[in-house]
Amino acid sequence: MTPSGRPGRVLAAVLPAVTIVTALVVGVAVGVEISLLVIAAGALAGVIALLWASVQALTGESPITLEEAMTLGAPSAEEEQKRSVLRALKDLEFERSVGKISEEDYAELSARYRTEAKRLMQLLDAGAEADRERAEKALRERLAKPPAKPEPAADGAEHADDKELPESEREAPARASGAEHAETPPSDATNEAPSGAESEEAS
Amino acid sequence: MWQSLPEFGTGVLYAILVSAAYTFAVGLAAGRGQPRLLRSARLGAYATAGLTLFAIALLTYAFVTHDFRIRYVAHYSDRSMPRLYLFTALWGGQDGSLLWWLFLLSGYTTACVAWLGGRYRQLQPYVIATLMAIFGFFVVLMLFAANPFEATIAGARADGEGLNPLLQNYWMIIHPPSLYTGFVGCSVPFAFCVSALASGRLDNEWIVAVRKWMLFAFMFLSIGNALGMAWAYEELGWGGYWAWDPVENAACLPWFSAAAYVHSTMIQERRNMLKVWNVVLICITFFLTIFGTFLTRAGIISSVHAFAQSDIGKYFVGFMALVAATSAALIVWRLPKLRGKTEIEAVASREAMFVINNWALLGAATFILVATMFPKLSELWNDKVTVGPPFYNRWLAPIGLTIFALMGLAPLFGWRKTSPDALKKAFVFPTAALVVTYVLHIAFGRSLGYPAFVERDVFYPGTVGIVLQKIGSALPGLTVAIAAFNVAVVIQEFARGVAARRRSAEKRNDKESIPVALFRLLDKNRRRYGGYIVHLGICAMFIGFTGGAWSIDRETAMKPGQTYELGRYTLRYEGPRMCPGNPRCSPEEQADVTKRMIFADLTLLEGGKTLGRLSPAHFIYHRQPDSPTTEVAMRRSLREDVYTTVATVDPQSKRATFAFHVNVFVSWIWVGAMVLVGGALISLWPELSFRDVGAWSYLRASAGASAGVATSVMLAIWLCMSPTSAYAAGTRPRAPAFTDDVRRPFPLAPFGAAAAGLGFGAVVAFGRRRGR
Repeated sequence: MTPSGRPGRVLAAVLPAVTIVTALVVGVAVGVEISLLVIAAGALAGVIALLWASVQALTGESPITLEEAMTLGAPSAEEEQKRSVLRALKDLEFERSVGKISEEDYAELSARYRTEAKRLMQLLDAGAEADRERAEKALRERLAKPPAKPEPAADGAEHADDKELPESEREAPARASGAEHAETPPSDATNEAPSGAESEEAS
Repeated sequence: MWQSLPEFGTGVLYAILVSAAYTFAVGLAAGRGQPRLLRSARLGAYATAGLTLFAIALLTYAFVTHDFRIRYVAHYSDRSMPRLYLFTALWGGQDGSLLWWLFLLSGYTTACVAWLGGRYRQLQPYVIATLMAIFGFFVVLMLFAANPFEATIAGARADGEGLNPLLQNYWMIIHPPSLYTGFVGCSVPFAFCVSALASGRLDNEWIVAVRKWMLFAFMFLSIGNALGMAWAYEELGWGGYWAWDPVENAACLPWFSAAAYVHSTMIQERRNMLKVWNVVLICITFFLTIFGTFLTRAGIISSVHAFAQSDIGKYFVGFMALVAATSAALIVWRLPKLRGKTEIEAVASREAMFVINNWALLGAATFILVATMFPKLSELWNDKVTVGPPFYNRWLAPIGLTIFALMGLAPLFGWRKTSPDALKKAFVFPTAALVVTYVLHIAFGRSLGYPAFVERDVFYPGTVGIVLQKIGSALPGLTVAIAAFNVAVVIQEFARGVAARRRSAEKRNDKESIPVALFRLLDKNRRRYGGYIVHLGICAMFIGFTGGAWSIDRETAMKPGQTYELGRYTLRYEGPRMCPGNPRCSPEEQADVTKRMIFADLTLLEGGKTLGRLSPAHFIYHRQPDSPTTEVAMRRSLREDVYTTVATVDPQSKRATFAFHVNVFVSWIWVGAMVLVGGALISLWPELSFRDVGAWSYLRASAGASAGVATSVMLAIWLCMSPTSAYAAGTRPRAPAFTDDVRRPFPLAPFGAAAAGLGFGAVVAFGRRRGR
């Protein structure tokens, strides 16, 4: 996550590079003393930008990006357990191939891991079904709405980014892809202050 | 208000504190599952790290511009210091080293937050909050007790006091940063641990995340300790590399617990066991890093390494109490979730071996901890009791040997239980290697100068003393035999893995040559086989440690022209030489006006053949004439080092008193450390799949990993180049080069080994993931 919006992302990529290059050039041309000041200035500029973005995110003035929304679909506990079991199964195969485990033990352990993996997969499928339906419903509602008007030029550059989603819609992909926040009440997202994009959508 | 750099720098420290506190609060709030707050906390963490970079840049600027208004700058630098040492002065004193600690923590925080990305979203808020709490502690410490920006009370001086000459050494340029990197690196696993406990996400995935961070810290702890040994060996001039000094002990304590953790975490991953043990190990490791820092800085135990006495000890005690109390409370709270349902089913299983290994490692750490604190503890009920190196060496020998043996045993067992047939098959080759090596060692060792049994004094009266004496006496033979066993185990594991791969390929109607199968085996199982390479490195180090049993230590006084027989060598004293001023001094020595150098030139001969010249010396710095330094001169080889120092030189009679040492196999310690680092790098290398993550992400991740690994590789190469650099003149003239008449075989050998080991690791790491 970088400072919000395209300008923020550009700043996050460009500022360190510009600072390092300038410091190197100044270091060679003028001296290491000034080069250190360039680094300090670059760090300070970055800190200001980061704190500004942090406060904006805190107060709900910056929209959530698609990339961030997608990360909401972080693996659930069951998903992580499934990975762990599959890893153990893979390791078991390796142990068998190098002759460190008897065939009887292999068969017993393999069956146990497979049963557990199957149980977890079924659990995940069952959990994902409800979320998928909700996501599809949200998508249908979204498509049914008339297209939003373009924003005014002042802050339009940020909101015009088609990779960003309004706050109200950020939960949809999350629930569709694993429902990490299954424990979080649905009202949580709506309790936060609406962003500019949300206001736009509402209007 | 902030009209000068000292005040401005202090203001920046306050800003770090405010930023850390803000991020801590937002992080905790984000723990309720609100993505917006998490985003804000992540940005806050980056900003806090940025402020720390700003602070370190300011202090570096103050050093480079000789801003003696700052007390720390005035105390640890002067105008004559080379620029490189002005940078190292950043961590040369207490206040700066705390800021350096914070700077490294900011690097870890940035890397950790960036790496986390969308992963472990429930853990992230608490990870950030914990890291910020650690930030907060160090900033408070600096602001209230050890401010590196504090102004000089009497105003700016014309010149500073300068850095301690012992610290003006190239090892000191890299030893503290690498050790600190290891120490500070333990903060990330601790943050994850607290986070898992606080959030209740105690499944096995978080432990996978922690594993690599801990392995990274472990690697740097190894590098840092090895570099510290190299510094002590080369700079302190007493002939050895490890004196069981309290600060040395403090540096190795987290190494033991981290080593225990990187093994026990595998049990949790595979068998869903030892959850409590693992979180305890992580907490202990972090606690020990803080304890080590406390021991170095509080001045409660006398040590050659300790910083000046100060009142920061109470802050550390408070923080350690907070860490212990918080960890204990969280563990007790989550105990029902942490308790596993599975148990160790058989002693003949890998998990049982790992558990015993863990106990031995923790036992060693506890022993060292108690022995380190014993002089202080003994004051409570008796007169102060000093604990010296012989005590450690005698008692730790059996513990170390147990750990060494278990290291070889564990890979021979399978998970859960191992059938008698499989065990028999696994043990034949390593046991044969052990027996053959031991018999050969007993038969031929003495004639080669490396007897399997050596004379040892009875250290204690009674049975315990006799047992320890017997173990000590048999130690060389046992260590060599167990090393052979360990090497055989690693060879066998690679051979079995390669054979399995080739069989598997044949079943697919494919063919894999042995090198290809070996390459793919390593590529596909980096953690396992990287770990085996680490074991090989430890074997080499143990051989290096054992060499001490066959070393020769002598002291003598000689007049010019006299010779001294030292084992198979002869040393002829040519006479003293004072530089600058003497026509025999090199141009560099003549040009050095910062110190007076008194050399005692020796010619080294073997069987009548001249090998070269050794010139041990005393350096007397004009700024610190009361602290002359001893400069070592030595001839290194993989077999042994001829190590010489001069104690006194009489200007009238030219008679000099010398200490001579023939240190057997010491170089294997550095080679072993290098192999260990190479193995750790292989284990650490991220398993990325081009197809899975996409081209750009792959490139980004590879670049990030490459940067981290490249740093490690550079350190490793630096370490392995130690023999070469020992003779090279640094920015300040050293005891002059060993001027040999024959080409020394050694310098290229470890470098070649390093290049081979690291190159192999790099090839594996960069290799394409074919044949998966």
